[in-house]
Amino acid sequence: MTWQAIVFLFVSSLAFGYSGYRFSLLLKMMSRQQGKALRLDRIPERIITTIANVLGQRAVLEKKAAGMMHATIFWGFLVITIGTVEQFVTTVYPPAHFEFIGPIAYSVLVWIQDIFTLAVLLAVSYACYRRYILRPEGLGKSKDAAIVLTLTGSLMVSILLMNGFRILGESPWWMEMMPISHRIASFLGRWGFSPELCLNLSTFFKWVHMLIVLGFSVYIPSSKHLHILAAGPNTFFKTLDREKGMKPINFENESVQQYGASKITDMSWKDTLDLYSCTECGRCQDLCPAYNTQKPLTPKMLILDLKSNLYRNQDKILAGKYDEVSSVIDTQVTDDVIWSCTSCRACEIACPVFIEHTDKIYDIRRNLVMMESRFPAEVQPVFKNMENNATPWAFSSADRANWAEGLSIQTMAQNPEIDVLLWVGCAGSYDDRNKKVLRAFASLLKKAGVKFAILGTEEKCTGDPARRIGNEYLYQTLAKDNIEVLNKYQVKKIVTACPHCFNTIKNEYKDFGGNYEVFHHSEFIAKLITEGKIKPTKTVEETVTFHDSCYLGRWNNIYDQPRSVLKSLPAINLVEMKSHHDQSLCCGAGGGRMWMEETLGKRINVARTEQALASNASIVASSCPFCMTMITDGVKTQEMQDKVKVMDIAELIDQATPS
Amino acid sequence: MNIYVCIKQVPDTETKIKLNPNQSGIDTTGIKWIVSPYDEFAVEEALRLKEKNPGSTVTVLSAGPSRVIEAIRTALATGADQGIHIEIPETADNHLTAKALAGALKKETQVDLIFTGKEAIDDGASQVSQLVAEYLHLPCVSVVNSIQYGNQTVQCKREIEGGSIEILESSMPVLIAAQKGLNEPRYASLPNILKAKKKEVKSLKLGDIGVSEADQKIRYKNFQLPPPKQAGKKISGDPTAQAKELVRILHAEAKVV
Ligand code: SF4
Ligand code: SF4
Repeated sequence: MTWQAIVFLFVSSLAFGYSGYRFSLLLKMMSRQQGKALRLDRIPERIITTIANVLGQRAVLEKKAAGMMHATIFWGFLVITIGTVEQFVTTVYPPAHFEFIGPIAYSVLVWIQDIFTLAVLLAVSYACYRRYILRPEGLGKSKDAAIVLTLTGSLMVSILLMNGFRILGESPWWMEMMPISHRIASFLGRWGFSPELCLNLSTFFKWVHMLIVLGFSVYIPSSKHLHILAAGPNTFFKTLDREKGMKPINFENESVQQYGASKITDMSWKDTLDLYSCTECGRCQDLCPAYNTQKPLTPKMLILDLKSNLYRNQDKILAGKYDEVSSVIDTQVTDDVIWSCTSCRACEIACPVFIEHTDKIYDIRRNLVMMESRFPAEVQPVFKNMENNATPWAFSSADRANWAEGLSIQTMAQNPEIDVLLWVGCAGSYDDRNKKVLRAFASLLKKAGVKFAILGTEEKCTGDPARRIGNEYLYQTLAKDNIEVLNKYQVKKIVTACPHCFNTIKNEYKDFGGNYEVFHHSEFIAKLITEGKIKPTKTVEETVTFHDSCYLGRWNNIYDQPRSVLKSLPAINLVEMKSHHDQSLCCGAGGGRMWMEETLGKRINVARTEQALASNASIVASSCPFCMTMITDGVKTQEMQDKVKVMDIAELIDQATPS
Repeated sequence: MNIYVCIKQVPDTETKIKLNPNQSGIDTTGIKWIVSPYDEFAVEEALRLKEKNPGSTVTVLSAGPSRVIEAIRTALATGADQGIHIEIPETADNHLTAKALAGALKKETQVDLIFTGKEAIDDGASQVSQLVAEYLHLPCVSVVNSIQYGNQTVQCKREIEGGSIEILESSMPVLIAAQKGLNEPRYASLPNILKAKKKEVKSLKLGDIGVSEADQKIRYKNFQLPPPKQAGKKISGDPTAQAKELVRILHAEAKVV
């Protein structure tokens, strides 16, 4: 055995031994998590998603320049690693050269490696330029990044020098296939070193390269570059559907003593994998309405803070001393952080490695609310109202159907022979502005000849506000009551003008035995228009901008239907705000924030209204009762109510449709 | 310390009250019952006192038809230890209610403190707390919005006419009737809600405590709903004419001047 082989075997076993040990600890911590998450369904789909996003870098490339930079480094890393492995193998056993794959294949391989060495070097330069000169806010400062960029750059330089000197020293046939290294060689040739010296220098740089690689492997487990290993599996195990419901809790199971997450160990292994996967890219933070209005929450820091909480508790977790694990709420993750979230899901949609931030926030809220009764004081009457009157506001359940007075709308009790059930929701039932929306939508349904009915006083709040605030117990009580009534009438189809009701009835009631075909009114109206049952004929010579509701857009992927509904209005001028579709800015009401005071930072509804006003629209079209309230308030705050109207899409279509 | 709280179950504040067909009482069908909000302050005060004095117990009492057990359970879910239900008819008056509560309390071996709300929000009579104290020969401080606990004494603050604050000191045992502002009642945590289902609620009949229905002093004959709110009237014209018209209406129509 050569001295090189001996030294390499010694150093590499130290390095790989150490990093292997670190990885085993990380894996062990994952397996010690108490929460549940089992995702082994739909394997083919998972494989395809993983290939597209890992090998294809699909989500990463959502951002053009930074995405290309990352993809180049990643692809380069793949091909160059083949060379690195070859280096390792031949250092130990020189004859095991990869030339055995055949001269053509081998030529192509080394050519690609050579090209990528330069490409990666350029990408690293761009990364430095972006990080240190452009300095996008989301990136923040990172020692990790500086170390990794230096190491990656040095790796590429060492490869080029190793190859350059080798060409000057011996130049085997396949090195002809390395255009970049040849340039380097001709540059290095100026010094006129002897071939022997050149070969020694080449060996020197080979060692520099190998040692950096080994150093990397030691460094990865404790850095943000853990994502190199974690992001792939995290993609594989991600929630596949856009329409994800919150995971239900089984309150019947008496062995469960802890609801929600009070400690990091109460979360699931998938949550831990999420934490391992974060690349600190800041894409989540860039779009977060809370962060952008100076609230203490940033989804990126939330993930990093939870990760450091996990690491701080590593010894206790590994020793199985769960009782001693510190609270998940600490000086970084404060109550205010947890209550600032609007559950708009912009963070999750933006995250290139599919981290699910909202799951963790909800889990922590569940513990605060159900275990500790700890939540903003103004929420208590909301829970009480929901318990006593089945609505978050202080209204009598006996008055639920008052909005429909004089419209001769039948209830299911009066006439269960219907095409579709109109689910009114609490805002449509009690809020004066939104009652008008419901009246307009009911009028549209009549014009289209749709046979519909309402549940009347048998309808209750869907429970959604309670669920998002963390009161799963109250949510399930209401959801089960509603499902019982819906199933009693054998309801098959439901239409609602509220995206929150829509989301929970469609995606979450099925966990409790409620299976229905559920439509948001934007989908329903779009369908009626396509079928020719509604023909808006009156011209609307207005500039209209559409505000995306989070629970319609990001949670249910419905962006086009409300826009196509609006486009059916003759002469309408539809414009987009600065942020729209999946990049849209939340109105501030989601995640139960509708019922909480907003005392920190700028008001989110004002930020969104500013975008709406900047679009110069005279009408802001909404498709959600809470957005309606928030944007209407925002317009009033800006004293623009005489110039700009906020209207629901149903009202606009109803006005333009003759009876 | 043995702490007792008397609570009443009342219709939810948003209930649309209807009368039963013969107008002898309200129609209770479909009513959502809650713990009277002032009684929630009383329960909360008892719980906080218990938390400060480990080893104390909080017992919740309510007199009424069997539906009021649900109100006792609600109080147990916030952390009270046990309940006592005294069965009295739906039509009981304040005297019978107070006798029943006092009768049950007399059977307890040691009573250190009794809390109640300053009034129930259904009939708003503010009678029962004083009557209970009277029947038990205990001092009573009502409409209390702050309490300081000493050794076997309490110092209570209550707001009186003109925004002044009256401070009263009493020895224990004492009955204290809570006013809004005394504390912020908690929201029951789920483990406590689940535990409450298993806590003991003792049931007593009037006979068990030496009280009889004959102790009722008031019989209700007839209930009437307040007349429906009329639409507002707008008086127009110049100020003098408006003033004249207003006086005329107050005199001739509303008959108040
Ligand atoms: S869901 Fe929205 S508000 Fe909550 S952390 Fe994510 S981006 Fe921010
Ligand atoms: S959570 Fe996702 S989007 Fe946010 S910084 Fe980490 S990797 Fe980037």
